Amino acid sequence: MDRIEMTAEEAAACVDRAQKGDEKAVLDLFHYMYPHVAKLVYANRPAREGLEDLIQQSCIKIVTNLHKYSGRAPFLHWVSRVTVNTCLNQMRREKARPEVRLADLSEDEAGVIEALAVSPSAVDTSDQVAASELVEKLLASLRPADRLLMRLMYLEGRNVEEIAALTGWSRAVVKVRAFRTRGLLRKRYQLLMKETP
Amino acid sequence: MSSPDDQLNRLFRAASGHPGEEIAAPAFGLETRVLAAWRSSRSASASVWDTAVLVRGLALAGLIMALSILPALNEKSVNSDTENLQLADSSVQTDWSP
Repeated sequence: MDRIEMTAEEAAACVDRAQKGDEKAVLDLFHYMYPHVAKLVYANRPAREGLEDLIQQSCIKIVTNLHKYSGRAPFLHWVSRVTVNTCLNQMRREKARPEVRLADLSEDEAGVIEALAVSPSAVDTSDQVAASELVEKLLASLRPADRLLMRLMYLEGRNVEEIAALTGWSRAVVKVRAFRTRGLLRKRYQLLMKETP
Repeated sequence: MSSPDDQLNRLFRAASGHPGEEIAAPAFGLETRVLAAWRSSRSASASVWDTAVLVRGLALAGLIMALSILPALNEKSVNSDTENLQLADSSVQTDWSP
């Protein structure tokens, strides 16, 4: 079955039917939420966790807890929160790499650092893949929860309120954590800059 | 040379512009597994409901039993007083009888 599009009202009605035991409504909800869950898992997955396993875990957690969905927030917001927390729980088992050194980077990734230092303009589109991989390496040196926060804030462009709603952290925790982690990333990046010839 | 913060911002902007991986269709059997999990969670919650009804029923039955015993207990206490008075009365009558 293909992806199903629904408005927020249609989704709420579908959830209502599913809560009353309508199997067809559960299937419709699954196909409606799947791309959303998969996108979040792709973006926030732990390094060693299988994508499909994590998507399955999230989907099962959502449908088996449908009775807990109160309908106060849009359905996809609740889906996002459950998915992000599932990813976060899996990430807690991981350890951060202590640091990133120039020797860990590919030529293209080192080239991105040079280009950033030399030119004040945006990174060339041909270097976007290398930039993305460099960011992943930098993020891998952070603690899992901090990594998730940086991804949500700087790669997905979510604001403090959205992150607080997704993770269940308070706004103050999000702000303090983001400030501290950003400082840490700056230090790691400066270390790479010093090593770059 | 621009500041490390500015460079980091441009790096993040470039990385966020990267389209990322294509989202694949749901894995084979995922729909079935999700539906099966939903069915089993529903049957589990139904059995929990049955247990709750059973517990409430037992509590109600206990309450009714307790209420039905109360008058009998009252009656017994009244009866024991009456019996004592009757005994005393009969013993007094016995003492005064010729």
